[in-house]
Amino acid sequence: MNPEIVPIHRKESLREDGMLFVRTECILDTMVKIPLLVASMIIVAAVMPIQSSFSSPRVLDLIIYPDGSTHVSADIDVDPLVTDYELKLFGNTIDNFVVVGESGFLLTTDVIGDSALIETFGSSVITVEYDIHDLVSKQGRVWTFSLDAPSDFTLLLPKNSAIVGMTNLPINMEIINDQNQLTLSAGDTEIDYLFSTTALIPDSIDSTIPISNFDYISYVIGGIVVVIVIVIGVIVIRAKQKIVKPIQVQDTTQTKQKIETIDAETIFKLKPDLREDDKEIVKFISNNGGQALESDLRKKFLQPRTTMWRAVKRLERNGVIEIEKKDLQNLVKLRKNMEEEE
Amino acid sequence: MKALALFTIFVLISGTVTVSSISDVYAQNDLNILLRIATQADKQIINQLEKTFDDSIPIDIQSLYDKGHTSVLTLENSLPDNIEQARENFLIAMKSFKQITKMMSESTTEQKLTTSNISDRDLQSELNRLNKYFQKLKTISEKHNTGIKFSEIEELFTQARQQINSNEIESAINSIHQLESLIHTIKKNISESSSHSSSDRIKEFASKQLNKIQKILEDPLIDSNMPELERANSLVREIETLISEDNVSDVKKKFGELNKLVKIIKNSIR
Repeated sequence: MNPEIVPIHRKESLREDGMLFVRTECILDTMVKIPLLVASMIIVAAVMPIQSSFSSPRVLDLIIYPDGSTHVSADIDVDPLVTDYELKLFGNTIDNFVVVGESGFLLTTDVIGDSALIETFGSSVITVEYDIHDLVSKQGRVWTFSLDAPSDFTLLLPKNSAIVGMTNLPINMEIINDQNQLTLSAGDTEIDYLFSTTALIPDSIDSTIPISNFDYISYVIGGIVVVIVIVIGVIVIRAKQKIVKPIQVQDTTQTKQKIETIDAETIFKLKPDLREDDKEIVKFISNNGGQALESDLRKKFLQPRTTMWRAVKRLERNGVIEIEKKDLQNLVKLRKNMEEEE
Repeated sequence: MKALALFTIFVLISGTVTVSSISDVYAQNDLNILLRIATQADKQIINQLEKTFDDSIPIDIQSLYDKGHTSVLTLENSLPDNIEQARENFLIAMKSFKQITKMMSESTTEQKLTTSNISDRDLQSELNRLNKYFQKLKTISEKHNTGIKFSEIEELFTQARQQINSNEIESAINSIHQLESLIHTIKKNISESSSHSSSDRIKEFASKQLNKIQKILEDPLIDSNMPELERANSLVREIETLISEDNVSDVKKKFGELNKLVKIIKNSIR
């Protein structure tokens, strides 16, 4: 007990107004033993992650094959003192069922309908693997995966599949061997996908890089790459600045090309029956040097993709424009030989 | 001591800060993922619409697409700040696209039924599944040195793969049936080969647990007149005998009963 603290029962230390004054210096040392405090805090800090890991005992990974069958792999915590563990399966049509105990022993199992009785005595963790045909259905070209998952899980979709609908938010997505792997939350999940040759064309460079929630190394590498790209960019720009003449020549040729393209007014004379909104598009393309990306047209006229696509198709049918593919985008160009055709 | 206390507090605070920063990173990735999925779905849907309807998209599908597409654009614009709106727009877009695919598949199902009688059986997928199952069993077998040879089955896998590649459907199906049968036998053999070491492991585990249970049963706080106590002690002796007789299946059964009794006894002294 610290002698500087005045015991409360000593009346002589009380003032007339009845207030008790206690020296707060070293109060922490006195009231709570510091070693005890430190030990408690360390224990709390140490125990927190353990509790967190105990709260999510299952690992659940699913792989969908191209024919819609699904491979299920799950790690499950079980009571080693209990002789049997009844596992609820995700359906009735089960193939290739295998359960392994923590020491790698094949465990005896009995699958009845949509449940399996596993002899788990002596094992605290079991690994269950099986193939199931109940999770994916097909209607027309669309395949639908549906599951009421007991825990968070990963889902590896088949190659060349593209997600075209889903009912809940994914936690993460990675691309593994050209296949999309989603991490999804527990609960009801429904995902529609279809097979397409264009399914896995990456939107940008980053789609080929697996996104991991805590992958700081990727960020560091990404940062280094960005710095290198910037440095190279600066060097290239400086180098280009030194060679001015060839660029001027190029500009001249581009200007010539612009001059060669047919102007909007001529087009309207040749095609008097064009719609007003189509005329606006033609004007824009003409002012843009005779060509524009379809995406730029959408941005300019604030039109949905299909509306603009229909307008472009209409102009193409009328012989006003021609469509070229450029970097997976539609490049819309005014036709030069329209007058000759007429 | 103060330094130690300060250090601990620093560790705890930095731990908290690190955790919250990780959450931020997570949230950011989460949103980028949403945008990637939605954009990919949008592209896919428009491709499908162009292929299916060319220039005459039905109005209901068109309006659904416009709704979905607008949500994708809004999702893109709401990044990276407005998390809630981004999530909401993602769900709206994906649900709209889902509806479109449903409507499109409904309209195309009939066509498929009249034009196609081709079996949906995907032999490559069947073989891949079987191979995954086989590899799992092989790993277990090798871990426990069962001495089972896998060369025959591996050759059959190679053969089946070649048959599928050269479109010899009947032969491939036969090979797959043979593989299924062989794998079934292998699984049985592994169970038999490892049963001895497996029962040793169970006996070892049971002996250790018996020691622990005996200590619990010797607790002076337990009412010695408890009928469960007497039965538990009797079961312990029975299990010891069964272990010495190598009767593993009965050990498991008795252990289940003993475990229940121990739980009751433990509860009685709390």
